Amino acid sequence: MKIGLECHVQLPTKSKMFCSCPTADCEFPNTYVCPTCLGMPGSRPVLNRQVLVYGIMIAKMLNCEVNDTTWFARKTYFYPDMSKSVQITQYDNPIGERGVYYLDGKKPIRITRIHVEEDPGSTKRTADLTSLVDYNRSGIPLAEIVTEPDIATPAEARQFLTQMIGDLRHLLDIPDDLEWEVKCDCNISVGTERVEIKNVSGLKNAERALHSEMVRQIAMIKAKKKIVRETRRYDPDRDVTISMRVKEFEDQYGYIDEPDLGVYHIKELADSIRISESPQNMILRITSQYKLDPKMAKQLVNTSMDLAVLFEDIAKEFGTQNAIKWVGGPISANWRAMEDRGVTDLARLKELIGDFSEGGITDTQCAIEIKSYMTGQDAAAAQEDSAGLETLINEFLDKNPKIVTDYQKNDKAANQVIGYVMKQTGGKYSSAEVVETAKKLIEARF
Amino acid sequence: MSMDSVMKDLKAINAKYQMFHAMSDDVSAGDAAFLFSAKDNLTSNDMETCAGSRILEGYRPIFDATCIAKLREAGGKLVGKTNMDEFGFGTFSTNSGFEVPKNPYDLNRACGGSSGGSACAASVIEDHVSLGVSTGGSICCPASFCGVYGIAPTYGRVSRFGLIDYGNSLDKIGVISQKATDLKKYMEIIAGRDERDPTSMVQPEFVTAYRKMKSVAIPKEGIEGLSKEVEAIFKDAVEQLKSMGVDVDYVDMPSLKYAMPAYYVLATSEASTNLARYVGMRYGHQEGDHSLKFDDYFTEVRSKYFGDEAKRRILLGTYARMAGFGGRHYAKAREVRQVVINDYKRVLETHDAVLAPTMPFTAPRFDDISKMSALDSYKADYLTVPANIAGTPHLSVPCGYDSDGMPVGMQFVADHWNEDILFSVAEDWEKQFDLRRPEVSI
Repeated sequence: MKIGLECHVQLPTKSKMFCSCPTADCEFPNTYVCPTCLGMPGSRPVLNRQVLVYGIMIAKMLNCEVNDTTWFARKTYFYPDMSKSVQITQYDNPIGERGVYYLDGKKPIRITRIHVEEDPGSTKRTADLTSLVDYNRSGIPLAEIVTEPDIATPAEARQFLTQMIGDLRHLLDIPDDLEWEVKCDCNISVGTERVEIKNVSGLKNAERALHSEMVRQIAMIKAKKKIVRETRRYDPDRDVTISMRVKEFEDQYGYIDEPDLGVYHIKELADSIRISESPQNMILRITSQYKLDPKMAKQLVNTSMDLAVLFEDIAKEFGTQNAIKWVGGPISANWRAMEDRGVTDLARLKELIGDFSEGGITDTQCAIEIKSYMTGQDAAAAQEDSAGLETLINEFLDKNPKIVTDYQKNDKAANQVIGYVMKQTGGKYSSAEVVETAKKLIEARF
Repeated sequence: MSMDSVMKDLKAINAKYQMFHAMSDDVSAGDAAFLFSAKDNLTSNDMETCAGSRILEGYRPIFDATCIAKLREAGGKLVGKTNMDEFGFGTFSTNSGFEVPKNPYDLNRACGGSSGGSACAASVIEDHVSLGVSTGGSICCPASFCGVYGIAPTYGRVSRFGLIDYGNSLDKIGVISQKATDLKKYMEIIAGRDERDPTSMVQPEFVTAYRKMKSVAIPKEGIEGLSKEVEAIFKDAVEQLKSMGVDVDYVDMPSLKYAMPAYYVLATSEASTNLARYVGMRYGHQEGDHSLKFDDYFTEVRSKYFGDEAKRRILLGTYARMAGFGGRHYAKAREVRQVVINDYKRVLETHDAVLAPTMPFTAPRFDDISKMSALDSYKADYLTVPANIAGTPHLSVPCGYDSDGMPVGMQFVADHWNEDILFSVAEDWEKQFDLRRPEVSI
């Protein structure tokens, strides 16, 4: 089975790709529009250079070769939400080509190309069977990332997307609380003929759509039926793919170069752009550099890159053991609580760990102080809470000793404790904190 | 004649010549410094703009084209939008969804195209300047047929913001007038960089100081296929040029005969994508059966309101772009364009301009035009197309009159960005040429 993806993500520019309309969400339809994004006769595009910058950053993250010159092309097709009936995209000489992106640091997924293009508007179907078009989105910049068919299973496709989207969010500085949709065209061939599932929204749906199509193709092959090359769409409610049309070939769009925009010489710009380490690369590096359990590395980085950076700081100043013990332990468990309170100063945490490593305070004192600083509880209450939580967990473990033996085979067994504690306390403790404490207490019983 | 009296007569003039599709409502010139008109494919926020196509009937843009805005800022009053071939698709302005302009020297003949209404207005109206647009010869052809001066500048010299596109890599906005000196005067206003058209941003400074033209090259390919009378009149004009101190050489420019097929591939390919936006949804005609599926509705509107020539060029261009042909036709045509440019550069290394008659014949009669095939009329552009595909500036001057009194023009082509030498030769020519104004009785 071969799976290849074409992923579309929005680039976080403030204005649109070819005009100065805002890219922000708008409550009212057809408000952030102008002659250019409405495709009015006589208007023409002016490129937002930031789109090239973001495109180059993505190309670099995916280890693509960045072309020295790049330009735009017209893709012509008729659809109501495409205001010019022409989409400005890239065809020859996209920003980046021939990249590779490693899944979990191991499996290479080849990247065919990354190019930038404009989004069409959106069509809203109404109850009385008419459709309304909103051009607020028309001209919003997108990056399209195309992979080679190197993905083996629907689950792997989701894993790839999850990892890549995490890295892209960090690269493009997309705020954690911002919804950032990825849309995919998913290509899958179980036998020899390829089927494309168009415009699937979200990671979970990508996996489900591919799975559903895989099952369909297997059934076809078993029944000795011919799979035709075509475009299908995915209906998430019924979990089936539905034929849209026999596959269009790219040639049928009649691409020509966009004559209103020139050739962009981007070598110098590309050379000047440095990208920071991606979350995925940081996971791989700290795992090997500090000989960490990969799970802990992943948890630190996925919680927050800042948390992972703190880990490295502590490791350098006070040794890896202290970093694992404190940053991997209570600091990690209380990180969200601290973020929610808007606390960003980490000096106090370093000071406490410094005191501990010099023997100025005890293990328990340090843990209590850290929690108190991060959650804002006073130390006495934090101590009481912490003691209360430990008592609760110990009681539960006494009644269910099997958890301890199960845990030695699979540490997920600790999760059983969460449900119990949550029920007893009504969500007084964070799940991270419960797991953290539970692990400590279970391991103490080995 | 005062501007107010010109304004007063305008409706009557238009009734006779049909140069305007839309006209200014007021009949006074107000405090205008000058009056001008603009081809109807240049957007104007106070007048309907249709580019000669019924599909845009009733469309009033919300913005002025940069060239129109600049002329207004300089004190100009826009008096009308001139009739043209639909989207610029033609040589005689007869492929119009609306009125067809009539030749100032003979009402039974065409003005040329596609800026026919502009050349007609410049020829007929006293002290008038008109904006034209050239894709394959649409300024020089009608200037020649209407006995006036016209310049199509270097591609990228005038901002195309507000121009309703035909072929974006070919379209150039220029000026048509009875007076050679007007070409420089008004080009100085409309030329220059404009951030709203990136292709205008690479131009060097627009210099217009006098620079005498010392030599011209006449390509053998440019004097083939001429009518007897055009040939004779051109020959006399060349002798006149020599007497003005211009050296004349005859050269070979073999690439010129490939310019025509390459032009039609490039121009129609681009046109077919530009015209895709006219689907009866956002502007122009929007009636039709809204219960149809969107593509059936689009087809209905497009079938009804595009003219035959627009449909022909959409088909040609779409075919040229399609599967398997893109590489063979479109890419090849771009190579030919480069070969033509190289040929001009080679000749212009040793000469100031390339010279030939503008059109191989004088303005034809409407009844003869109706007998011409599409291919016949395409071929009529063989003298104007090469400079247009090369993006080099070219200027047509009236150089004589045939036995019917119809004007003949000749066209100088200079190297990219060398408009100055074209203005200079036109002004020198004007000083000694006896321009016969058409008889305008209303």
